[in-house]
Amino acid sequence: MAQVIEKKGSLWVSTGVIRNSKLYCHIEEIGYLAQIGALVLFDEGDNVMGLKDIFTKCADRQYGCSWESFEAYRHLKSLGYIVGRQGQPWSLKHNKINPNSDSTVDTDLIAGRIEELQIGAANLIFDIHQPNSKFKKTDPGNPSFIICLVGDRPPSRKEVEDLEKKCKSVPLKFCHVSHDNVSFFSFPKVSLPVLP
Amino acid sequence: MELSGPRWKGKNYAQIANSNPMSEIIAQLQVCLSNSESAALPIGTDFLLETEPELTDLFNCTSFGRQLKTSNGSKGYFQLSPEETFYLHHYLNCLKVLINNANLINVNDLWNFMRSRNELFPIYYRAYMHLRSKNWVVKSGTNNGVDYVVYRHHPELVHSEYAVIVDWEKESGEKEGGRLRVWSDLHCAVRACNGVAKAVLLLNVMGYEVKFSLPELLERMTVGERQITRWLPSQCRDDCKLDNDVEADDIDVASDKNVINHTTRYWVVPLQTQTQPEIGEEDSDYAPSMSL
Repeated sequence: MAQVIEKKGSLWVSTGVIRNSKLYCHIEEIGYLAQIGALVLFDEGDNVMGLKDIFTKCADRQYGCSWESFEAYRHLKSLGYIVGRQGQPWSLKHNKINPNSDSTVDTDLIAGRIEELQIGAANLIFDIHQPNSKFKKTDPGNPSFIICLVGDRPPSRKEVEDLEKKCKSVPLKFCHVSHDNVSFFSFPKVSLPVLP
Repeated sequence: MELSGPRWKGKNYAQIANSNPMSEIIAQLQVCLSNSESAALPIGTDFLLETEPELTDLFNCTSFGRQLKTSNGSKGYFQLSPEETFYLHHYLNCLKVLINNANLINVNDLWNFMRSRNELFPIYYRAYMHLRSKNWVVKSGTNNGVDYVVYRHHPELVHSEYAVIVDWEKESGEKEGGRLRVWSDLHCAVRACNGVAKAVLLLNVMGYEVKFSLPELLERMTVGERQITRWLPSQCRDDCKLDNDVEADDIDVASDKNVINHTTRYWVVPLQTQTQPEIGEEDSDYAPSMSL
């Protein structure tokens, strides 16, 4: 995760998370913005990080992101959707965050729990809001739907039901990323009516 | 795709359907077939039934079986699938079945006969029964690469709305059926069906055990319904589930050939009683969807 030092433009209304009034970006946001030339990333030695290194970090799986989740992020973000990490608040104030400390506790408070995305399993990755110029990080409302990234097999009925329970009443879409395609499927329960 | 409603094949057809509820025509079929001496005989994997004119009409109006057109005008010949045969015999309790030209078979023996010829019969029958008992018309889905297609009323009056895939699992929840095992299975089903303006319905038959008897099976097997839809984020930024692969009204090949004559009965059965396969437009929106 990186702290945004200098920002310009309205894209920041719906990108990055606020922690104690400071703006931070997750790696997928960094990757997307860097790819379109809207962001420059510096490392600890104040050197500019190239795209190869940024892309590698996206794919790393250590930062709560994988190449597939990054592709899904990029696809939806470029179409104007508001994409946040599933379950993570857009804005948080916490008195205990000490900006001068770099303990892991503080990292958790800023970034949220980073769970390594399991290969092959189904992971809830993003909360999606419709493109909306009135979006506010301090009051985003419920997401329009949640994206679940699925591995190499479509989810079974049981997996779908278990994941739906985790999402409560928010609609769930399943995302599959292949070499040249990002697809979304949903499996809503229906009930064919009894006809006269 | 979420359809905006049934696609009736002509003006007033919805009213014709509303005035002639399928359940009522089926009730008439039950009476007529019970009183008839006709019995179904196995032919190949299906069953053959010879019918008198009144019964011929009722079979056509309820869309059971496939009529074999012959030069003999006075008798009808219908080819019934195993599910249709068993449904008429067991659920509607009106069809007699004759095996090996011997005595009329009873329901348990017919059940065992069906299972001996197809070990998946209980699963498909359970699915068929689930749909037909709700008064949907159920026909073979082979033309669309699925198990069944279902119609809200007679196929002459309305296009089918759902293409049905049947999957199944055991009582333990262990998946058995193995349908939609890989992603290309999903893509294939949705593409084929959206191309002919049908939504994909996945019927999950649960609680199957080989050892069950007929009553046990029917009591303990349940059916879950889920739709399979593909969402195209580039085409829908509203909070809707609409899957915009194809405009439903563009696809309509078969209906011009069917003629409705109100003076004889509700509708006249045309020479070709099988519903024509519907041919989809080329779907250019199904292109790789990566941007940037």
